[in-house]
Amino acid sequence: MESSPFIIYVTAAVVGIVIAILLTYIARLSAQAKINADKKAKKQNYLSENILSDADIKKTLYEEINEALASSARAQEVTNRISDIFAQEVQKRIGIKEQEISKKYETVIKEKSINEEIAWKKYKKVLAEKKSTDAVIRSIAEGLIVVDSKGKVIMMNPAAQRLLGASGKDKIGKPISENLKEEQLISLVKTSKDEENKEIELVSQEDETKKVIRASSAVIESEDGETVGMVSVLSDITKQRELDRMKSAFVASVSHELRTPLVAIEKSISLILDRTTGPITENQEQFLSIAQRNLKRLTHLINDLLDLSKLEAGKMSFSPAPDSVEKIIDESIEGLFTWANTKSISIQRNISSGLPEVNVDHNRIVQVLVNLIGNAIKFTPHNGVITVSAGLSAEGDSIEISVKDTGIGIPPEHLDKVFDKFYQVSERSVTDITGTGIGLSIAKEIVQWHGGKIWAESEKGMGAKFTFTLPLRK
Amino acid sequence: MDNTNIKILLVDDESDFTQPMSFWLKSKGYSVLVAPSGEDAIKIIKEQPVDIIFMDLNMPVMDGVTTVKKIREFNNTVPIIIISAYVDDKRISEATNYGISGVFYKGEDFQAGLALLESALRTHKQLKK
Repeated sequence: MESSPFIIYVTAAVVGIVIAILLTYIARLSAQAKINADKKAKKQNYLSENILSDADIKKTLYEEINEALASSARAQEVTNRISDIFAQEVQKRIGIKEQEISKKYETVIKEKSINEEIAWKKYKKVLAEKKSTDAVIRSIAEGLIVVDSKGKVIMMNPAAQRLLGASGKDKIGKPISENLKEEQLISLVKTSKDEENKEIELVSQEDETKKVIRASSAVIESEDGETVGMVSVLSDITKQRELDRMKSAFVASVSHELRTPLVAIEKSISLILDRTTGPITENQEQFLSIAQRNLKRLTHLINDLLDLSKLEAGKMSFSPAPDSVEKIIDESIEGLFTWANTKSISIQRNISSGLPEVNVDHNRIVQVLVNLIGNAIKFTPHNGVITVSAGLSAEGDSIEISVKDTGIGIPPEHLDKVFDKFYQVSERSVTDITGTGIGLSIAKEIVQWHGGKIWAESEKGMGAKFTFTLPLRK
Repeated sequence: MDNTNIKILLVDDESDFTQPMSFWLKSKGYSVLVAPSGEDAIKIIKEQPVDIIFMDLNMPVMDGVTTVKKIREFNNTVPIIIISAYVDDKRISEATNYGISGVFYKGEDFQAGLALLESALRTHKQLKK
């Protein structure tokens, strides 16, 4: 049993050596595993971070598969096969993608060319419309000028060029105020909304003759209400002016000629009527009175025509002086009382106390009031009421005088026309006491001469109210 | 010729016209009634028969056309002659729709009115027969 401890020692040594070898091997394996894991992770990162070329992909695949199959010949064959399949697959997919892209591109190109065709057609249509509009504008007899918001001429048709003796090419794009002659036009460009029609006198450069041009202007606004320019239509009214002047001269001359025989007839009838020539019968008196009354009516008409032609020609003489409105109203009513009484119409006055004096031509304002009150009497049935009122205007800068009746009234559509010369409301005439249809035109001219306004208000069947203003002296 | 049996109704608000016109017609032997308005005319016709009417178009309240229309509602036979101061009065054609025998313009001589009256009366007499 002496050898037993030795064997035990040897056995222990061998076991120790084997354990040491095993531990070393395990340590090496674990180190190799760690290196492999690092390598793999690195490769993973590389793959995920970079876009690989086909060669890279092939190489990576080789490595992966070689690793997996431990580089046998069979492994090489499999690797090649897989690479080929992979390459073919990639090629196929690229082909499909290419087809998809070119199909989409074709659709886009097709749509684009259709849109282009539509746009072209529209452009051609707009161009044709523009040409026809241009042709219309070119051929209209009235002059047409369009200026932008800065006063530069955008468009000027041949008629406007003729009227202004200017060439469009010289003017387009230039401010309208560039030439001295266009100074009048600046005023037309500056036309306010209240003043849409203007008459301007021009001395033509070419024929040196005076022209009277009526300009009707309108502001051009964009859809959002911004002023983008102004369009003016110019009409040559030189001839019309001349005719108006001739007509006024004719009326004035004829009226003067008519007055002479009228005075002769009127005086002769008066001599018979007041028995200077001897006794007359009741019937003779009746009819001579009618003749006399109608002669007065005719004289009144002729005087009205004369007045109107003088007013229109600006030849009416006015003698303004400080005057009391109350006095003017009283005097006007006084002369009409007898006539109103024949129809049992009462004339009431409603005058504010302490009204300031007005600077007016006494006789002319009496003429206005007699016309208005006379009309009221004419169109008010028996037992009606006429009210003449006077008071300070709401603004306090003028005196408002109105004549209101309880007559047949005026339909609303005729209200702004009753001041027109010889205007008649269809159902019956709205004329002055003489029935000439010019009494209201004269009243309007006289009021306007004094710087006042005149207007009518009415509801059919509810009577009419005529009001005029007389500005107070500042 | 005795015209006293013939009764004329003169409808016009202007007495300066009706006075000499009625005097003249009376001087020709006719009986003449004067109505200063359309309403008065209708009242007179309803109260007593008239042979012929002279109707002015331009009257306040009820104008000539309306009066003619109202008369025709109850009398379809009486001859009516329109009186107008305006040659181109549009209301004349309107009045024609209700049956009128002629138009007498105020600017014309009374003799022209008389000729119209006699002709209308003759036609009316023939129609009656």
